[in-house]
Amino acid sequence: MASHALGGPRPGNRNVLLKIVILGDGGVGKSCLMNRYVNNQFNDNSFHTIGVEFLNKDVKINDETYTMQIWDTAGQERFKSLRTPFYRGTDICMLTFAVDDRTSFKNLTMWKNEFLHYANIKDASTFPFIVVASKADIGADKRVVTESEIKCWCEVNDNIPYIETSSKDAINVETAFALGVDSWKRLEEAFDKTNNYVADTVNLSRLAQRNSSKCCSN
Amino acid sequence: MNRFFITMPELKAIIVSNISPRLKRAARKANPFDKTEKSKELYHHDSFKRVQELDGGFFEKFGTLLREQAAEDTKEVHEDSKEKGEEETASEEETEETPPDQGDIISNALLNIEELYSEILFETLHIIGSDASIIEEQDTLFAYLQEAFKVDQERHTVMLEAAKEKEAPNILLNVEVVEGKELSPKDANVENTPDDVLCLEVWDFDPAETVREKMTKIGDVKGVKGLTKLMKEIAVTASTGKHDNEFIGTATVPLKSIPAAGQTLWCNLEKKSKVKRQGLVKVKVSFSSEKNSHVAAQEHRHLLRILLLHELEQNKTEAFEWKGEFCVPAATLVRQHLAQSGLGPTDDALAQWVEFATVHTSHPLSFHLFADLVRKLVQPINSGLLSDEEIKLFWDGAKKLLPSCFNSIKKLRKLIPGEKSTSLHLQSLLTILAELSKVQQTENLDLFPSSVYGWITSKDSPNDIRSALTDAITQSAVDWFQHVVDHNKPTDDSDEARLKHLIKVLQVVRTDLQRAIDFHDKLFGQIMLFPYSRTLYIIYDNKVSEMTEPVVTDLCMSLKPIKYNEYDEPIQNDSNDSTLLAIGTTLFELYLVLQRFAVLAKGLCPADLEGLHAQQFHTWYHRGVAQWLDIAVYKAMKRIAKAVDLDELQPVDANVQYSASPIDTLAIFNQIKVFWQQLAWPDVEGSYTFVAKIMDDVCINCVYYADIMSKKVDNMGETETVYEKKFEVTNEWCYAINNIDYVRLSIKSFMNDLGVDEIIKQLADFRSPNAAEHCRVTLQLLIDNAIDTVRNKILDLLEVVAVKMTPSISRFLVEGAELLNQENNSVDRLMQYLEESLCTLSSQLNPENFDRILSIIWTKLAQIMYNLVESSLEKRRPPSFFANLHEMLKILTGFFRPDNGAAPPSLGANSEVLAKIEQLLMLHGMDTWQLIQQCHLERLNEQQQLTAAPLGMLTVRMQFVHDLLRIEIMNARNIRPMDDNGSCDPYVKVHLVPEEKFTGITRPRTKTHKKTLFPLFDEIFSIQLSREQREMKDAMVHFLIKDQDFLGMSSDFVAEAYFPFSGIPATTMETRLDEMTQIHLKLSKPSRMDSPAIKALDHRQGEKLAKDFIKKQRSKAGSKASITNGNH
Repeated sequence: MASHALGGPRPGNRNVLLKIVILGDGGVGKSCLMNRYVNNQFNDNSFHTIGVEFLNKDVKINDETYTMQIWDTAGQERFKSLRTPFYRGTDICMLTFAVDDRTSFKNLTMWKNEFLHYANIKDASTFPFIVVASKADIGADKRVVTESEIKCWCEVNDNIPYIETSSKDAINVETAFALGVDSWKRLEEAFDKTNNYVADTVNLSRLAQRNSSKCCSN
Repeated sequence: MNRFFITMPELKAIIVSNISPRLKRAARKANPFDKTEKSKELYHHDSFKRVQELDGGFFEKFGTLLREQAAEDTKEVHEDSKEKGEEETASEEETEETPPDQGDIISNALLNIEELYSEILFETLHIIGSDASIIEEQDTLFAYLQEAFKVDQERHTVMLEAAKEKEAPNILLNVEVVEGKELSPKDANVENTPDDVLCLEVWDFDPAETVREKMTKIGDVKGVKGLTKLMKEIAVTASTGKHDNEFIGTATVPLKSIPAAGQTLWCNLEKKSKVKRQGLVKVKVSFSSEKNSHVAAQEHRHLLRILLLHELEQNKTEAFEWKGEFCVPAATLVRQHLAQSGLGPTDDALAQWVEFATVHTSHPLSFHLFADLVRKLVQPINSGLLSDEEIKLFWDGAKKLLPSCFNSIKKLRKLIPGEKSTSLHLQSLLTILAELSKVQQTENLDLFPSSVYGWITSKDSPNDIRSALTDAITQSAVDWFQHVVDHNKPTDDSDEARLKHLIKVLQVVRTDLQRAIDFHDKLFGQIMLFPYSRTLYIIYDNKVSEMTEPVVTDLCMSLKPIKYNEYDEPIQNDSNDSTLLAIGTTLFELYLVLQRFAVLAKGLCPADLEGLHAQQFHTWYHRGVAQWLDIAVYKAMKRIAKAVDLDELQPVDANVQYSASPIDTLAIFNQIKVFWQQLAWPDVEGSYTFVAKIMDDVCINCVYYADIMSKKVDNMGETETVYEKKFEVTNEWCYAINNIDYVRLSIKSFMNDLGVDEIIKQLADFRSPNAAEHCRVTLQLLIDNAIDTVRNKILDLLEVVAVKMTPSISRFLVEGAELLNQENNSVDRLMQYLEESLCTLSSQLNPENFDRILSIIWTKLAQIMYNLVESSLEKRRPPSFFANLHEMLKILTGFFRPDNGAAPPSLGANSEVLAKIEQLLMLHGMDTWQLIQQCHLERLNEQQQLTAAPLGMLTVRMQFVHDLLRIEIMNARNIRPMDDNGSCDPYVKVHLVPEEKFTGITRPRTKTHKKTLFPLFDEIFSIQLSREQREMKDAMVHFLIKDQDFLGMSSDFVAEAYFPFSGIPATTMETRLDEMTQIHLKLSKPSRMDSPAIKALDHRQGEKLAKDFIKKQRSKAGSKASITNGNH
């Protein structure tokens, strides 16, 4: 039957699309985070990302199915002009650093600013950022960034949620992404609330636009 | 009169006699000559300075030429600057072409002119050689001389007379036997017989050697050492015949036949006694004199200069035009002077070199002339045939000539490239340099004095002509580049103007390189082994990069990204204004020009690529490209919007079912692709990322197209009359859908055209196959996502169509259901509506999309139907309403059922809904009796599903004998206790259902058994039925076990069981009932009041029958509850 050949999503079961961008210094483990999340794999000897990489993942959170479009970026400075064009239209931004790399932590501010600038974000204070500390599996002796300073940074930066993960040991990886979705949802709800005096069509069109502005898949 | 003979031991014989030196006269000439030399040197400096000052003018002209060329190429030349350039050039040309004042030179030479004059007159009187023997010619020569030397008549007569009185000169004849052949086997000798005939006698000189061997040796000395240098007298008295030498033959050459410049000729050898020719001898004969060679050479130089100046004056020869051709009298005079002064060709060449170079400084002569001369001189010099003084003269000449050579090379751009004259000019210039490079330089030779060669930078090898050439070319390139930059000044301070300026400069530079490659490189390479274009390229590369990089980097940094609103549409405001876009575009133009420039290097200097700045030009653009791509998206969106706006939603031609805008949209994508291809980004990692970006952008554009296309058709097809509001599926809708699909289907091939495979391949080489695979996956996902997203858009639109059809469908269905039996044509109208819509869809949509929409409409229909049933139930519509709806559903199902009889589209997905609808419609369409029977059937079904028998078992035997039903109720077990004492007083009552079909039939019952849960009834009943009743479908025996209360006045329901007629064996009269199998029936009671039939009955509360049945069922079910409670 043609309808089977179509094979695509049926009306009504198309997922909410979320564009997630993972940022952070080179070598903090952005690709590992994505690969653990999407493929549940971990490769210690992964190579530098070239510019950007992209993967889809369908995930059900709180009874709603989302298609996450995850853009992994290259952290090296020389790739800056290659990755920034992809920021526009992002729903969730993950700022990553490695707990054994103080510079990567210090650069969070730089990453946040770079993102805000190129993604053309109007209200930086409410945008769904997530701070992801990677390599939480390493021993305490190797750890150089303390939890309190991270929390301090997050507090200063409009209370960005923060989570410690290990792609190697598969700790908190899913939670990190779920946290991002939560933040996004809260923003959406707040948006709907402030706009509830306008007819529903506004929200619908906005959502439709949101979906159509990016690629969706299943 | 003179008798010469030449002997063979030297293999070359020159016989000179009657020497009469005239040293006295020659000595007096030296001084004034030096003076002249000095003044010329001064003049030379002066003129060079002026040229330098005017260099600007040259650049003007060249710039103009190039701009014109560039204009052909780019059509972007500013007219005004061109005109200006021409003016300046013209004025410069004028200055340069002003002929030098020859009078000065002549007058400087005046002191010795008279002596030279009288010498030349004397020589003219005694003309020698075959070519100048006619007496009349003497008068012409005298006239010419008088004019050239500017001597008045009186003086001329005096001097001529004086000359005539002088003793005739002694002229020497130099004879050189070069080779002989076909000689008779005898040695050769030369003898001059009396009376103006050169007589060569050839003798067999040495019998020990064969003649042939000797002749070979003669061949060896072809490169005769300067005759004038080695005037050795080697006459041997061989002719006396005092030895055994044998005479071979004699050759005679009349002296009058020998031209003044000498001659090389083959002579026949003859012997008086023999007729047969004795062989051939090649003889070189020339005249010479015993004059002091030094003096003669000076005289000759002086003569050459005077004649040349006169020649130039007479003929008004243009600069660089004179190629060494004197007029006939002058040529004769020169030849005569050479011959009578005993000067050889090298003397002549050196004299010409020196004098012409001097004249060249004030009146440039053809370089071709100098090229010839230097070629003649190099070998004699390197063979050591020239005296130190002569070599000094040679280098002095060279020093005078070289500045002009280098100047001309620097002005190469001024000449019309590709013309024969230009290449000859360049060839001569390079030949001069190449030949000079071959000459061993003398000590302390300051070939390039810094006062003249300010531009020479390499001090390491002060006299190296090649490095001077490099410097000259470098300096001219640098100057020229600066000139190009200066004379194409940006029109204003804007970034745009700066970029345009750079583009223009680059185009002009590139044209220059192209010319260098096309026209000059070969000559430079062949003659000087000089990589001309490569040298230029490296200079330009440096200059261009120096000038361009900061501008490009700055601009790329300062470009603001295009702002988008929350609907991802570009915001029309100042930051997106046209200036920004124009700069982006111009930046790209510059990129392309840079790219073309960089590509040249691959051919010109493949070995130097690493060090060339412009090879990295793309890195200047890194930040700009992202903005470009945004600009591309922005422009594409604007164009797509325009295309959709203009689209009339008519097929572009009869064969297709899409309109114009998808074609326009794809053309726009194609432009993005072409942009990308032109960009030809050199770095593979960047390529990959930008391609990913382009794919993402194209996806955005596809979705944008789908959105605005949907918006365009959104309110089409809706008609509103007084009676109804109706939506009709129109062709426009179909085209809109097809259009989007057309765009969708083109995505893949578009993406592939971006060269993804090649990029992945390069990535695998450059990084690793693994990394390349990651990138491939990313790109593939982007393509898939783009296609999926657009397909979702199509589905959205199809659904919009279906949704828009919903109200009409709904209304037709309601009308149909209410009025079906009143000869209403609602069903027909529904069918017609559906048919019309589907026909349009079917004929205009492609099969795939038609199937999609069919499936969507069918799904919608099911939903409509379901909602209708639900709402109708709430409204407690009569059973006929539902029965009518059921009929219509059947018609629709048939309508959507494909011809091949398969299930209707997407029934799979909707089957549950449809089954539910059908059940609802069936039940609600029944009358109440049917529904009650349906309840019984449900109960039977439930009973059959039981696995245990919590309420006990009933055992019976049954048979049909014809229409007689015989039932034996045997016993019951484990029936539930009904009384407080835990026991029961059971009896069994037999009903036949459907009850309304068995009215009038006695319902048999057993006796009541007291206080037992295991009653043994053992009673047999016979019930006579009609044939009709007997064969009734779904008819069942309904056993009810009841509990008689102790008064015998009423009874309570205990449990029940059903058994269908269809399960009862039909037997003959003879068969006894006790032969039948015992049937164990599981006892149960109604447990749920939510079965579909019960629910349907429940909707009929207004009907007594239904109400009573429900009540009864409730009580049956409820009694258990109370018992259960009681058991606690």
